[in-house]
Amino acid sequence: MQKIEAVIQPSKLDAVKDALVEIGVDGMTILEARGHGRQKGHTEVYRGREYSVDLLPKVKLEIVVTDEMVDRAVSAIIASARTGTIGDGKIFISKIDEAIRIRNDERGEIAL
Amino acid sequence: MQASESTGGERRNLYQRRMLEIRGAFEAGASGTATLAARTSAADELVSELWREAAQRNPRLAAGVSLLAIGGYGRRELFPYSDVDLLFLLDAKVNEKDLKESIRRIGQEMWDCGIRVAQTVRKLAECERFSEENAEFTVALMDHRLLIGDAGLYARLSDETMPKLVERDRDRILDRLLELTRERHAKYGSTLFHLEPNIKDCPGGLRDIHVRGWLKMLDGTMADSVTAAHEAEFRQAVEFLRMVRCFLHYRHERDDNTLDWQAQDAAASMSAGVAGDRDQSVDAAYWMRIYFRHARSIERALKRAIEDLPPRKRAKKFTLKRDRVPETAGEFRIERGQVILGPSPSGSPGEDPAHDPDVVLDIFIAMARTGCTLGRETEERLSQALGLISANLEEGTPLWSRLQEILVGPQAGDALRAMHVLGMLELLIPEFHGIDALVIRDAYHRYTVDEHTFVLIDTLHGLETTPVASKLEWGSRAEWASRFGALLRELPHPALLYLMALLHDTGKGRSTGDHAEESARMARGLLARLDLDSYESELVLSLIASHLEMSSTLRRDIFDAETVRAFAGKVQTPELLRMLTLFTYADINAVHPDALTPWKAENLWRLYIATANYLDRSVDDERVGAQEARELVDRVSALVPDQRAAVAEFLEGFPERYVLTRSPEQIRTHFNMSERLKEDRVQLDFRYAPAFSELTVVTPDRALLFANMTGALSAWGMNIVTADAFSNRKGIVVDSFRFTDTFRTLEMNSSEHERFVKSIYDVMTGAMPIEKLLSGRRRVRRKAPKVVVQPRVEFNDEASSHSTLLEVIAQDLPGLLRALSLTLAAHGHNIEVALVDTEGETAIDVFYLTHEGAKLEKKQQRALRAALLEAMEENAR
Repeated sequence: MQKIEAVIQPSKLDAVKDALVEIGVDGMTILEARGHGRQKGHTEVYRGREYSVDLLPKVKLEIVVTDEMVDRAVSAIIASARTGTIGDGKIFISKIDEAIRIRNDERGEIAL
Repeated sequence: MQASESTGGERRNLYQRRMLEIRGAFEAGASGTATLAARTSAADELVSELWREAAQRNPRLAAGVSLLAIGGYGRRELFPYSDVDLLFLLDAKVNEKDLKESIRRIGQEMWDCGIRVAQTVRKLAECERFSEENAEFTVALMDHRLLIGDAGLYARLSDETMPKLVERDRDRILDRLLELTRERHAKYGSTLFHLEPNIKDCPGGLRDIHVRGWLKMLDGTMADSVTAAHEAEFRQAVEFLRMVRCFLHYRHERDDNTLDWQAQDAAASMSAGVAGDRDQSVDAAYWMRIYFRHARSIERALKRAIEDLPPRKRAKKFTLKRDRVPETAGEFRIERGQVILGPSPSGSPGEDPAHDPDVVLDIFIAMARTGCTLGRETEERLSQALGLISANLEEGTPLWSRLQEILVGPQAGDALRAMHVLGMLELLIPEFHGIDALVIRDAYHRYTVDEHTFVLIDTLHGLETTPVASKLEWGSRAEWASRFGALLRELPHPALLYLMALLHDTGKGRSTGDHAEESARMARGLLARLDLDSYESELVLSLIASHLEMSSTLRRDIFDAETVRAFAGKVQTPELLRMLTLFTYADINAVHPDALTPWKAENLWRLYIATANYLDRSVDDERVGAQEARELVDRVSALVPDQRAAVAEFLEGFPERYVLTRSPEQIRTHFNMSERLKEDRVQLDFRYAPAFSELTVVTPDRALLFANMTGALSAWGMNIVTADAFSNRKGIVVDSFRFTDTFRTLEMNSSEHERFVKSIYDVMTGAMPIEKLLSGRRRVRRKAPKVVVQPRVEFNDEASSHSTLLEVIAQDLPGLLRALSLTLAAHGHNIEVALVDTEGETAIDVFYLTHEGAKLEKKQQRALRAALLEAMEENAR
């Protein structure tokens, strides 16, 4: 089992969700996030006041999938979240030791 | 050992068989109350048997110990999966250690039968103590009942200890009980209108029935002023809720009291608790309305019981916002936070003030302003009088002006809820009926549609009173509330936003596809009945129809200029944008207590800023061309048949902003004015209104035009709130000014209207030199500003392809606009477009300028900046 964390543009969330559901990943955790990488913020002036945007709104999506699903899930995310411009986000993958369903104590891949 | 185990096994089987029988009886139609009683007596038998067995083993149980049922079990209300609360009451002489094993064994046996038992052991003397931290025990003890054991000991508890405790600590217990109730209600947003209510703990749930019982128990002197009809209604509600809870327990097979969607469907499909045929299924939404009706009567019964407590005994927090100085308002007065309607003056029913819609609406205005509630007898009289109120009701402007007062009152949400419960809201706005207690299922909403609407209105009023956030709270919800609050305080017509909020979801009551469109369609009739003017009603209707636009734009990339452009195209005007922003903020917040995260608020703010800037910067380049304006031309020329070509010619070259911010009727008026220019080259259109009057001039463009108009208005003491100046390809300008009347000249004296228009006309034709008019003007007394605004002058060459954008931010002072426009004229710059706006004490003036047909050079910009700053300083002196 592996965990895929993807930081993406909020506007791409629906597309990414649909793409993941399509390949059979229906459980996911979504967090509202702020951040920046190379895409730095900018300053908006509104009615004489300056509003700086240092941290841009992002959405972080977490899914845990079986090893054989990882590549398909990553491709699905990339295909649906890419615009080709700075700020499209990043994907991080890590190993997961155990998954447990709280309701009935199922363990391992069956709990995903 | 063997023998005892087999008896245990038999006992378990017997008990479980008994439980199945009870379940079978319930499913065959036995009432909730009967089911509770049956489970209670089954438990009683079991407990007594276990006690007798224990007593055989342990002779110390023979005296000085009694076994009591407390809590729900004490009340004989054991729901199928409720806990069983037992109290082992001990005489002072008895040593708890000697009973330990017996108590453990009884508990164990009950667990083995599948009963969740909670056992408490207390000496008699301990029961007499009340502690705030463990008030639940005292409250549970109030429902005591002897099961078995020392009857004499029990009699001392029930005849001596308990009365003494209540006598001594009545106020503390009451206070704590009310506090716990308030906290419990707060956990459910203090509303009973949940999509998936917890029928035990929600307001209007079973727990409220118990609280009402305890209040009555604690306060023996309590006046029982409940009418027979209300009592019957209450009994029915109790019966219904008991049935539903039994149903839920059997369905979930545990003590889970959430009436979730699946359970609602199941209950509706068998018409649970609905009079008539049990096999006939009903619609789930219909069934939920029955639930809400019962929950409402329970909520009301508890509210009344609390009101019946003598004031000394009411917890302060329950009445804080209502207990104000008594007010009087002629036909009714406010006493201890309650509206009391006076008798009819002559005693004849024909003159009953309850039949007079004006009096009744005034009552709700008072409620919206002060948060007071309806007195019981008053509520009763109003409810009886609904038919007559309806017959006497006058629609149109008088109704709208009263409705406005209700909507803008800080406690409007509660006043509207009270009107809704009484049926008064539906009487005024029948469109609201379709969403009464309506459950629309989605994964996010927490409340029924009507309650969502009231929470939304509460949120907006909350914003209005939000103080300016301190530095510490930056990035928090408080900061956002304070920013959006500032936006709300600057709305010229907050009542329109509240009206729109009240109506935005009424379309959900009809099962058509797009509820926003449907709500707008339904609102149209109401707005006509209220006689709103065309500007106001168009604003309300567009807001309702587009109320989801901003939320859906937030799901796109708000940093993409194209997203902003498309959204700006939909909102079209700064006023609509501001209202839609505020609406969206409150709408998200009213979905769910946690829905409006700082993250969402920030994105909403970003989209607002980006769109507001876009609206101001795009005006000059987006002009009506010969081709794309066909639809606009169609709309206007429909009103002036046979002049299609002339209309098209008139519209050509105007910024699209002009066309989008005016109704076809207004454009027709301007077109007709332009047609009359051949006879008279200055055409004026004046619309007086108490809040904002509007003056439009249509005339060929020329130097000093804008400066002279602003000068003439300021000479009359008119304070310009918004203005815009547009011109078409042929150089015909349409300048409109919306202003307030500082000296109330026009309001006090309608004969002055004519003189006012004449003097503006004379200035425009040159018959009266503006200097002469200005020399006779009254000086406006200058109040010290609450907020000091530093003047800023910004140029932008990118916003337009052929003109330079000038943005001036300054303290809003009389004469400012004239000072600015005179400076522009003195520098030989031409105003292509002007957009004048005010936000509180800040004036935001945007001009698109050209100099001899071209953009301003950098050198010219520098000179103009210096001159403008100097002119503003001069004007401020």
